[in-house]
Amino acid sequence: MTTLWDTTGTAVVKALAAERRTGGAVTSGNALTLVVIVDERDVHEAEDAATLAASKHPMRMLMVIRRHIDAPVPRLDAEVQMGGRLGPGESVVMRMHGRLALHAESVTLPLLAPDAPVVAWWHGAPPDRISYDPLGVFANRRITDVSRADDRVAALRQRAVDFAPGDTDLAWTRITGWRAALASAFDGWHEGAASAVVDGDDADPSAQLLAGWLSSRLGVYVPVNKTGGGAIDQVRITLIDGAVISANEDYGRLILHREGQQDSVAPFPERSLGELLAEELRRLDADRVFAEALGAVSSLTGLNDRPGQRVHIWKDPALADSPTAAAT
Amino acid sequence: MTEPGSTVTTVPAGSETATGDQTAVPVPAASPPGTVTERANPLRDPRDRRLPRVPEPCALVVFGVTGDLARKKLLPAIYDLANRGLLPADFALLGFARRDWGDGDFAALAKKAAKTHARTQWNDDVWRRLNENLQFVPGSFDDDQAFDTLAEALDNLRNTHGIKGNAAFYLSIPPPMFPVVLKQMERTGMASNERSGGWRRVVVEKPFGHDLDSARELNELVDTVFTANDVFRIDHYLGKETVQNLMALRFANQLFEPIWNSHYVDSVQITMAEDVGIGGRAAFYDATGAARDVLQNHLLQLLALTAMEEPVEFAAEEIRTEKIKVLRAVSLPPDLDASAIRGQYDQGWLAGERAKAYRDEEDIPPDSKTETYAAVRLGVETRRWAGVPFYMRTGKRLPRRVTEIGILFKRAPHLPFSRTDTQELGHNQLVIRVQPDEGVTLKFGSKVPGSSMEVRDVAMDFLYGEAFTEASPEAYERLILDVLIGDATLFPRNDEVEASWKVIDPLEEFWAGKAPYLYRAGEWGPKEADEMLARDGREWRRP
Repeated sequence: MTTLWDTTGTAVVKALAAERRTGGAVTSGNALTLVVIVDERDVHEAEDAATLAASKHPMRMLMVIRRHIDAPVPRLDAEVQMGGRLGPGESVVMRMHGRLALHAESVTLPLLAPDAPVVAWWHGAPPDRISYDPLGVFANRRITDVSRADDRVAALRQRAVDFAPGDTDLAWTRITGWRAALASAFDGWHEGAASAVVDGDDADPSAQLLAGWLSSRLGVYVPVNKTGGGAIDQVRITLIDGAVISANEDYGRLILHREGQQDSVAPFPERSLGELLAEELRRLDADRVFAEALGAVSSLTGLNDRPGQRVHIWKDPALADSPTAAAT
Repeated sequence: MTEPGSTVTTVPAGSETATGDQTAVPVPAASPPGTVTERANPLRDPRDRRLPRVPEPCALVVFGVTGDLARKKLLPAIYDLANRGLLPADFALLGFARRDWGDGDFAALAKKAAKTHARTQWNDDVWRRLNENLQFVPGSFDDDQAFDTLAEALDNLRNTHGIKGNAAFYLSIPPPMFPVVLKQMERTGMASNERSGGWRRVVVEKPFGHDLDSARELNELVDTVFTANDVFRIDHYLGKETVQNLMALRFANQLFEPIWNSHYVDSVQITMAEDVGIGGRAAFYDATGAARDVLQNHLLQLLALTAMEEPVEFAAEEIRTEKIKVLRAVSLPPDLDASAIRGQYDQGWLAGERAKAYRDEEDIPPDSKTETYAAVRLGVETRRWAGVPFYMRTGKRLPRRVTEIGILFKRAPHLPFSRTDTQELGHNQLVIRVQPDEGVTLKFGSKVPGSSMEVRDVAMDFLYGEAFTEASPEAYERLILDVLIGDATLFPRNDEVEASWKVIDPLEEFWAGKAPYLYRAGEWGPKEADEMLARDGREWRRP
């Protein structure tokens, strides 16, 4: 491991090359570069998750921690390592102080693995608009997590407003298990759905997205009923012929109930942040089904038709909250 | 990217999936011919690749469930599938074998087998759930009563598990048992799609016969009891990720196809080497030999995939059509004496341990003339491959376990360097490593650093484990899943099996009665095999 204090981007690039040489891994492949944008207080959580994801995906991980944007002198500290604490891949943890934090891309661009896809992940409240963050602009895939915003419902809606193909949100990743179970329950039923309802927390973005997905697929309006339990307690679908399919979560198990059939019980463990991240990294193309579900939640249409490329919008936090829309 | 905008609330999913970009995703072959076309599941969408490919509710019946293959491969693969969430919510596993057991004993055996050999992490919850849907049906294969019980058990699943007639039968039993088991299935109507109201499929393991006639007989029997489309012949090599990648490498890239012909290819070497001996399979192996055991199926399948033309579409029928064309075009050299070499291992040292001679192995007659090594030069009589030799070899007790396909390219027609500069330069090679170290190697000449011009071979490596994000599943996992989904892409068709025997039969006829050459255990085969290539001015690649 190489630790560099008050350094420059060039020195970091050199240190990474040196680590690769001494590690004997000059030829080892990187399937992607993951750029993690995180606050100092969440660094541990993000590191744990990225380490788990790195064990499944050979990647270069660049962690950007922005600190004290108002510090008078810009400064870069970096920690470069291979196959150590942060999983088997290459990782660079960078702390950027002062105005440098607004130009983080100047350090990360030369560090991206050549010609490999770039994934940006904000472990924290998602940016209001991804185009404000240059790290999100050059990423091919962008992963946010609206469940970490103060107002989760508004944040989810904002994701739809700001959506571009290639964006996904961990609130969506969290319901893959629910979706797989429901899709599997529907196999072998050949009736359309008359109505469907999600019981859970109506302020939970995952519950909202599940309802949005069901309504975009089944063609019926799907409400989220507040029941006061967990995020999603139960999904109930009534078919046109009156039969009911329901799925309940019950302490780490999922119970699937269909009329006239034995209940089926499957383990339904909650997945860790690292596992969610690993699922996201498996798909580097735009998730069109997510866009449809997000569209249904926010009543916006044509999300999939938006351009996948964003243009950076310069927004200086020092200049109050009146962004001057000028591309840099 | 040019997909029409999907409106939000009113989409009937069926039409949506039809227009969506379904490029690489093979159509989930859910409904086999014979079943009524049903409304597509609105919650499934080929673009939704987060959701696993899961079969319809179905049962899997394993005959010979207490056998070696079932314990070491099938049961663990089923557990792994369950653990990865790839089995349907309604799934039942029925074991059929001779022992007089209760469900409990079987459950214990199955758990032990799955736990010992599973690839994925052990999770008691997953097993408990699988266990609830486990049934054991004891009985011998000529016992009508037992088969009636089995048929009844399958019918009952309709009520208890919501499995509407779908079932796959895995024949993990010795081939001589096939006829009696198949007849029983015919008698009870178990094999009939119409009677069951769902699909009924059968999975057959190699050997598919021991020559052309017996293979034909077997095919006829299986194909009449079931329908030809419902028969899945397992060649576990085709379930390997690297073998499937061969098709991606050839047909998804622009780079390789232009040079994939006799203008640029000098020769092809396909090797499957094993370091082990014959293990506990003495009786079977001594009657079979390396050519029937490996060459007829695995190696010829690899040859077919290497040499075939581009299929019109990446679909089971189209791929099999191209493979059968190649297999029918395979030719034997006129002089079999010089280009069909058999070997048998003698005693020797392997990996630091003494290894017995084949004839000294337990239950092998001391005068056995069965081969444990076979090397043969084949041709493919098509415009693309005319004149390119395909050297195939397989053997036991070779220095290491390795399977690979080596494409050796011709030397450059003119080298502007002096002879001494390029002394170390060999053929350019593209090697597909099927196992172990799954990946692809490209060998080409490069300048040695220094003041003089010297060109030497270097290798460029692609290693699966490094570039990809997911661990490759075990071949049986993939193949069992494909059977339950009904995707026949990776299973050889009956006429492929017959075409392969047409290649092997003349070889066996030629070899009959002759003694194989001896080679020391731990060597790369008999020296006659090396001479065979030396006569053509070539040599074997050391894998």
